[in-house]
Amino acid sequence: MSEYYTRMGDGKRVTMTKEKILDDIHEGSADAADMASIPQLDANAIEHIAEIIMCQDRVVGVEPGQEVVLSYDIGQLDFTGDNGNSGNGVDMGRLEAALLHERALGADTFELAHSDYSIKPVKPVISMEMQTMEEIQAEIIAPFFYGAMPNQGLYYAPDGPYGNPADLMREFKIEESMQQSELASQHVTRDIEYVATRLQAAGSDGFNFDTTGSAGDADCVGTLNGVKILREQCPEAYIQVGFAGESIMGIHGMIEFEGQVVAGMYPHQYVHLAEKAGANVCGTVCNSNTSKSLAFNIARAVTFIKEAVKTSNIPIHADMGMGVGGIPMCETPPIDAVSRASKAMVEIAGVDGI
Amino acid sequence: MAYEEETKKLQDALVSCKVPDIASAVQAAHDAGMPAEEIINALGAAMSDVGVLFERGKLFLPHVLSAAAGMKNAMNVLDAELKAGAGAGQSKGTVVMGTVEGDVHDIGKSICSTMLQCAGFEVHDLGRDVPLKNFIEEIKGGCNFCGMSALMTTTMTGMKTVIDNLKADGIRDNVTVMVGGAPVTQGYADKIGADLYGESASETTKKASALASD
Repeated sequence: MSEYYTRMGDGKRVTMTKEKILDDIHEGSADAADMASIPQLDANAIEHIAEIIMCQDRVVGVEPGQEVVLSYDIGQLDFTGDNGNSGNGVDMGRLEAALLHERALGADTFELAHSDYSIKPVKPVISMEMQTMEEIQAEIIAPFFYGAMPNQGLYYAPDGPYGNPADLMREFKIEESMQQSELASQHVTRDIEYVATRLQAAGSDGFNFDTTGSAGDADCVGTLNGVKILREQCPEAYIQVGFAGESIMGIHGMIEFEGQVVAGMYPHQYVHLAEKAGANVCGTVCNSNTSKSLAFNIARAVTFIKEAVKTSNIPIHADMGMGVGGIPMCETPPIDAVSRASKAMVEIAGVDGI
Repeated sequence: MAYEEETKKLQDALVSCKVPDIASAVQAAHDAGMPAEEIINALGAAMSDVGVLFERGKLFLPHVLSAAAGMKNAMNVLDAELKAGAGAGQSKGTVVMGTVEGDVHDIGKSICSTMLQCAGFEVHDLGRDVPLKNFIEEIKGGCNFCGMSALMTTTMTGMKTVIDNLKADGIRDNVTVMVGGAPVTQGYADKIGADLYGESASETTKKASALASD
């Protein structure tokens, strides 16, 4: 029986039979369908994923004309970051990184980023960020945004002024934990307004909110309220809201955006939150399981994202990278797995961009 | 099965995550003559269901904590009877938890600490950016489980240092070492000689509970 080279979710090389690959695809799709109460992939989609995985070419791609928009996050850190930070350890300035993305990597959109990549630490250096934005805008042709994580974790003790919900809850202070989450959420909104409107004034083409909800549902609500204000104040801004995971973590549990509890929402549901807040594009995410195969992880991710694409009124750009979108979790995700997951996401889930 | 109706009511009450409902169900089961240990076992089984529902995004952290608070109240109500029983109501183990030195990410680790506490472990959560020697000190102080988390490939190597230091101090066999966090995998856990790898907070709790009952 033929065995095909493929990967596990931690990047390890393994061989599997077609039968095993198909079993894993079924299992991955069924898991996503069960979690989010959405349809499983049909027989054609399952066979298509199997073909993509069994193709023994090192790199796979989509047919000419089927290419999608490629938007890049984390700014210059792609190059300057250490290996553990998705970078290559190649030091360079932010202008050089922007031009390299535009002219060498063919990035359709790119962004300016602070090395800590969070909204809060941008505040004390906002003038420098505005100046750099203005300088790079004078050189670059591709749409150039500012990108940062809302990262509400930085607002809780010991980093910020609000009580840490995790600590409070372990003491069964549930009400107090919720209150602190709400206060921190309001602070995130204020900081988004402060930072984003200034960068727009400095000429940014838009703002990428990366890993929205990484600190839970209150982080998500704080960000969406910030997006709403930014949309009102800067109607022309291109706003991308990328989420942090396949479901919004319920750390608060009951906090609402526009009358809806956001905790527990899956991609096909949270895309509507992004749209309602005024986003132009939603970045959907599905986390990879390191103990499962590439086949399982791609099928699971495609099942989640396909449903989001089906129900969304705004473009969907799937988050494809280290440990997300079906791609293995390892320092340098292997190109065979990255290209397979990306091809499946475009051809089967039908995403508008990556 | 004896006390079938009471068991169902106890489990439904716990999964509802409403503290007053749990208290009522516990009182009713107690009044019906259900032994305290059986009441706690029924609640413990339902707590596992709560963990699964949390993992699948159907229940959220405050719900898990409310269920745990209900269970804690039940333990207090049944305290006298539990103390009379042999070993009932004892902690499953004492866990030192922390995000390793140099790493300030702690949400996943905190959720895991909470789940372990809800499952009946005594948890010493040292927070994040924990100096590696502090894990060793806690183990020397009596912790028999050590949970280490990292979100960065640059910091996860601290886990191996702790394990190596435990070996050097001759206390490696006194403790179950658990590792987790986004970049950590089963392969890495095997490579550094950890005892347990958890893909998620609930998986870690499930595996730790299984080891504790061995």
